[in-house]
Amino acid sequence: MFSSPLYRLNIVDRPLAKGKGEVSLSAFSFLFSELVQYCQTRVSNIGELERRLEDIGVGVGLRLLEILCFREKNSKRDIRLLDVLKFVHTSLWKYLFGRQAKDLEQSNTAEDEYMISDYDLFVNKYISVPKDMGALNCAAFVAGIVKGVLDGAGFRARVTAHFVPVKGQPKPKTTILMKFDSVVLAREHRLPSL
Amino acid sequence: MPAIYALYVINKSGGLIYNKEFVVMASNNLNDTLRLASIWHSLHAIAAQLSPAPGCTGIELLQADTFDLHCFQTLTGTKMLMVVEPNTPDVDILLRDTIYDLYCDYVLKNPFYEVEMPIRCELFDSNLFQTINNVHRRWGLLH
Amino acid sequence: MDAINAEIFTLTYGSMVRQLIADLEDVNEVNKQLDTMGYNIGIRLIDEFLAKSKTGKCIDFRDTADKIAKVGFKMFLNTSAAVANWNADSTECSLILEDNPLTDFVELPENYAGLSYCNVLCGVIRGALEMVNINVSCSFVKDVLRGDDVSELRLKLLSQMHETYPYKDDD
Repeated sequence: MFSSPLYRLNIVDRPLAKGKGEVSLSAFSFLFSELVQYCQTRVSNIGELERRLEDIGVGVGLRLLEILCFREKNSKRDIRLLDVLKFVHTSLWKYLFGRQAKDLEQSNTAEDEYMISDYDLFVNKYISVPKDMGALNCAAFVAGIVKGVLDGAGFRARVTAHFVPVKGQPKPKTTILMKFDSVVLAREHRLPSL
Repeated sequence: MPAIYALYVINKSGGLIYNKEFVVMASNNLNDTLRLASIWHSLHAIAAQLSPAPGCTGIELLQADTFDLHCFQTLTGTKMLMVVEPNTPDVDILLRDTIYDLYCDYVLKNPFYEVEMPIRCELFDSNLFQTINNVHRRWGLLH
Repeated sequence: MDAINAEIFTLTYGSMVRQLIADLEDVNEVNKQLDTMGYNIGIRLIDEFLAKSKTGKCIDFRDTADKIAKVGFKMFLNTSAAVANWNADSTECSLILEDNPLTDFVELPENYAGLSYCNVLCGVIRGALEMVNINVSCSFVKDVLRGDDVSELRLKLLSQMHETYPYKDDD
């Protein structure tokens, strides 16, 4: 009586759900907390821990790109750098955090670096990083999601998450730094300017 | 005048795992506090067995001339103790609803917290202080 | 309670399982690890369940099973389970998952046919109940991902301590 005939269909023959379902943030937070603890048992330093969280995020990002392009962009994906960045800043952020990111900016010092900054990412909501773990930011997982989206779209990049203190704010913001592969920029330069 | 003096958390085995005072207290010596925690833990258990009332779970409130001590024990065996000015109202509700929630959120969901060990979580501290300040403000102790 | 898009949860869990497969290279080890991770979650999550549901002590094991199925699954996964197939002395039952956000998007490839993909749930239940002095064993006996018509968790009561902490000296 609980079986749904849809389960008898091959997974790709089933319609893609609308994606409006919700679970409690608690369920996610407990899972994520355990994930961080598991990762800690398999690394020897903070850099490796961030890399692991990032890797797990990449697996999420690659799939989210497909889902979001299918739902929101009629299965088209962006091919220009600025469009992809806007997609991350707006569509992806709205999907993940319910709002677009606060800032999207290009680095003053490097042409190939872009930054998205925001406060209160839910992955960090309940996490207090001990002093001896220094600059660890578990939003490395979010950086991984962004990397997965960018890689999947053909914009290879190194993506990292950093806490950045802000004057007059009690809490630091998290900046997701995207450093694009030289191939990506070279391709972008060959294309006509927009 | 109602006021909250201190919060202590005692783990299942009677160890003090959190200790925060919100006012300067006459005796805020850590050894005294550790002793208080383990004595309370034992008395609480003995009281539950001595009590003629069926289903007694331990001491919920101790009243002295100069303070009240409220104790909330979760079903998982963790105790949260709050020392307050005598006759401060609704402390049981504060512990059961608000402080317990903060503990679930900022202690138990923190991957860097080990269960049963001392609580060192910045976000728990800051949210606790905010909660206590809000309560004190409501009572007109802070402006 | 605050909520997030269920797909983020689903995909994060999936990515975690993939990582475990890469790390441990053996399906049985992965099943065990998922159960352990669930247990670690369970011993923490129980407090939130108690705090948010304002639930008191369970009257008996039937009550316990009902609370897990109707309140617990609802609170955390926004779904519910049906309790069924009680044994005669009310120490064993099944939780039948009507809808399970962990398995959206998932299809098990043939080489992972032995994977108990949702094994984390068994650990969560075992860990959570242990913290309130109820010892159970919990495992999947049917799984839609392995071709069954429903997903069914079998819950067995092993022992129940009536004393609350701290135990009497002679325990």
